[in-house]
Amino acid sequence: MNIINVHQLHKQFKVSKHRRGMWGAVRNLVSQDYQLVEAVDHIDFQIGPGELVGYLGPNGAGKSTTIKMLAGLLVPTGGILEVNGRVPWRERQAHVAEIGAVFGQRTTLWWDLPVIESLALLKHIYKIPEARFQHNLAEFTDMLALAPFLNTPVRSLSLGQRMRADICAALLHEPKILFLDEPTIGLDVVAKERIRQFIKQVNQARGVTVILTTHDLQDVEKLCERVMIIDRGRLLFDGQLKSLRDRFGGRREMIVDFTESYPDVAVEGAQLIAHDGVRATYQFERDELTASTLIGRISSRYRIRDLTVRETEIEETIRRIYEKGLLES
Amino acid sequence: MRHSFELYHRLLSVQLRSQLQYRFSFLLEMFSTAFVVLLEFASIALVFERFGHIKGWSLGEVAFLYGLVETAFGLMDMVFSGFDPQRFGQSVRRGTFDQLLLRPINITAQVMGSDFALRRLGKIALGIGILAYALALNPITWTLGKILYLPVVVASNILFFGGLFVVGATITFWTVESIEVINILTYGGSFVISYPMHIYQQWMRHFFTYLVPAIFLTYFPALYFLDKPDPLHFPAYAPFLSPAAGLLVWAASMAFWHFGLKHYQSTGT
Ligand SMILES: Nc1ncnc2c1ncn2[C@@H]1O[C@H](COP(=O)(O)OP(=O)(O)OP(=O)(O)O)[C@@H](O)[C@H]1O
Ligand SMILES: [Mg+2]
Repeated sequence: MNIINVHQLHKQFKVSKHRRGMWGAVRNLVSQDYQLVEAVDHIDFQIGPGELVGYLGPNGAGKSTTIKMLAGLLVPTGGILEVNGRVPWRERQAHVAEIGAVFGQRTTLWWDLPVIESLALLKHIYKIPEARFQHNLAEFTDMLALAPFLNTPVRSLSLGQRMRADICAALLHEPKILFLDEPTIGLDVVAKERIRQFIKQVNQARGVTVILTTHDLQDVEKLCERVMIIDRGRLLFDGQLKSLRDRFGGRREMIVDFTESYPDVAVEGAQLIAHDGVRATYQFERDELTASTLIGRISSRYRIRDLTVRETEIEETIRRIYEKGLLES
Repeated sequence: MRHSFELYHRLLSVQLRSQLQYRFSFLLEMFSTAFVVLLEFASIALVFERFGHIKGWSLGEVAFLYGLVETAFGLMDMVFSGFDPQRFGQSVRRGTFDQLLLRPINITAQVMGSDFALRRLGKIALGIGILAYALALNPITWTLGKILYLPVVVASNILFFGGLFVVGATITFWTVESIEVINILTYGGSFVISYPMHIYQQWMRHFFTYLVPAIFLTYFPALYFLDKPDPLHFPAYAPFLSPAAGLLVWAASMAFWHFGLKHYQSTGT
């Protein structure tokens, strides 16, 4: 049984052309002069319970729009959308009681209240039994190290603290699904790592289904087995992270230090992507050329002092997918 | 429903507490809104000083109408400040409205609970003061009917103005830029009906009778309280349509609000 079922999901935004001034404002009220933006363009996917899925794509790809529809904030323009067996926007209240969502850019907590009081308010909102609440709060406080700032007003928290408090807030009512829209945005390495570990643990120990959008591919590499890539509203890839790398991570890099500086170090079969003094960097396809053949070709013409071979990082792979539209065909 | 109501109270108490954290700006706003009302009323009083009567109405009579509208609008502004189009439009634009939609509570109760402008107390106090002044200038012959009907009229006006706020707030789902136009609708509306309707031109009176039934909310009830004849020759029950008109506007605004919610687009950040 899938916990999320999406078929031909479509969201179109009407962006009105703004007119300036008073008269323009009146005309904006009545007239229908707008542009259509296809934010999510007929996508299909299913997610099973307990999965941890990375949802990737460049800026403006449609990630947040998808998440907002899944979370019941936006009504789709068309298509089928079922989460937990419900149509989110049609039964909003019942739906949101069973999900948690964190939008990294903003907080769900009350700005002027100490963290602990915000959490207590959520206890009433979600009707969480006192014992469950205390139990979960103790566990999350421990895992996310919230104790030092539980009594601080939310407005005085650092970004990392606020994010941790927000993630705790999204989970106190034991949702089956957790939507995380850029939960590591703007955080330092240590804070990111702590949040990653927490997400992993919640997914494994509690079986919470997690969908995560991010621009930090470390998040994906450390957390997700499955990734979905969206661009300009179209779902370009949906599969294992490993198969993505096998398919598109084909290019490897060789960094060579020569004994002297040669004016031209190009060799056939490899692409010279950087050449600076005695150091040159080549890229080559894994299945077209072996590293030893390349070394042979280079060393037959120039004198090599040192070299390293690098596998393409997932970042590089994804960047190439975005930039070259590799998946579009 | 009960859960929503209980939460509404909890959310409000959070609101009030955070407003009181900023004591200075609270007091400042309270006095400045009251001061604006005072200035406006003083300018009306000055006009009467010169002319004595305007189209058959004395200062005391106009003050009654004015105080009634001011008090009702102030009370509404306090209770419905979550729907204040300016504020609500901002929360839509900043995406905080999304956060309300993420919570499993009735969305209308949440918006109502998202603000309670205690600072409007200044305006309300002044409205009541003006009402008292009106009664001193122009004593009303109170009957049991009038005593019972006065709070009904105030409540109907609160519903009516609340409806205008809700309509204005809903419009910001589509266009936040039109906030000035929306403000004309709400604040301008309350300004227009603080004066006796028969001083206006016919098209305007028709507008406030048949399109937006404001005339039944203040003008006709005021005629009843002040025992004045109706120059517009409406049926004798016209002063008692106030609750019906208030409920009608409120119901229409709720229908529009729910329509707007379906078309809510969120923000693109
Ligand atoms: N409320 C809105 N009104 C109008 N257009 C919108 C709205 N929200 C999103 N869009 C448009 O829809 C497209 C997808 O936006 P979305 O926010 O889903 O992208 P994203 O993948 O989350 O990008 P990012 O990585 O920058 O957060 C963009 O072209 C955006 O401008
Ligand atoms: Mg986004």
